[in-house]
Amino acid sequence: MTAPMTMTTMATAPTSMTPVICSPWLGDIRVDEDCEIFFPAGLPGFENEHRLLPVEVPAQRPLVYLQSIERERVCFVGLPVYVIHAGFRLEIPEDERALLGLPNDRDPAIGEDLLCVALLMPCGDSVQVNLNAPIVINLHNRRGAQIVSQGAPPATYRLSADSGWTLLC
Amino acid sequence: MLRRRPGETIAIGGEIEIEVIEISRTRVKLGVRAPRHVTVLRKETLAVAAENRQALELVSSGPAGVAEALRLLGAALE
Repeated sequence: MTAPMTMTTMATAPTSMTPVICSPWLGDIRVDEDCEIFFPAGLPGFENEHRLLPVEVPAQRPLVYLQSIERERVCFVGLPVYVIHAGFRLEIPEDERALLGLPNDRDPAIGEDLLCVALLMPCGDSVQVNLNAPIVINLHNRRGAQIVSQGAPPATYRLSADSGWTLLC
Repeated sequence: MLRRRPGETIAIGGEIEIEVIEISRTRVKLGVRAPRHVTVLRKETLAVAAENRQALELVSSGPAGVAEALRLLGAALE
């Protein structure tokens, strides 16, 4: 995927000139202003988390960590939606378009205009995701929001070693 | 049940006001004034809030959870 956004990677060594987050989970992370994502409305359940940093650990690709800049212990991990479901389609309501600073006259493209990540939730010995509630980031202005589909059929997928991602009924 | 027109307001408990801003054929635009400590969400996002709290546990419970997710992901991609 080519994207006009860079992520912080754990291979990048902190310098003395830039702020550093001491993440209990990821260690010291250099906060590059060009990487920070601003969530105007936070995330559901985390309405005060407005600044998140996407972090890639090279050995763990395609996982994407979303580390809070303001609360070190808040860190999510997710996957680009196409890793889970190649046919994923995103509908962005008018209010969220405004929140993300997206134009109304055309549909933005995932990968070119948007990064779309589903958060991983632990579920017994496995993990699952809800594709009806992806984290959507406008790559052009680094604004983010969690888009919750309204009235859509359930889209919770669970990962297993045998059958990959399976849609739960 | 209350009937309201655009521009009219409902008050709840003295601190919360809901104003009908605009009505279209299929949707109603509402404005909510509430104290900062009151979280205002669409109902469908309540379940997502619980899922997000669950998602936080994957990382905060230690490296084993992420390592297992990576193992499953690797196995599924093979």
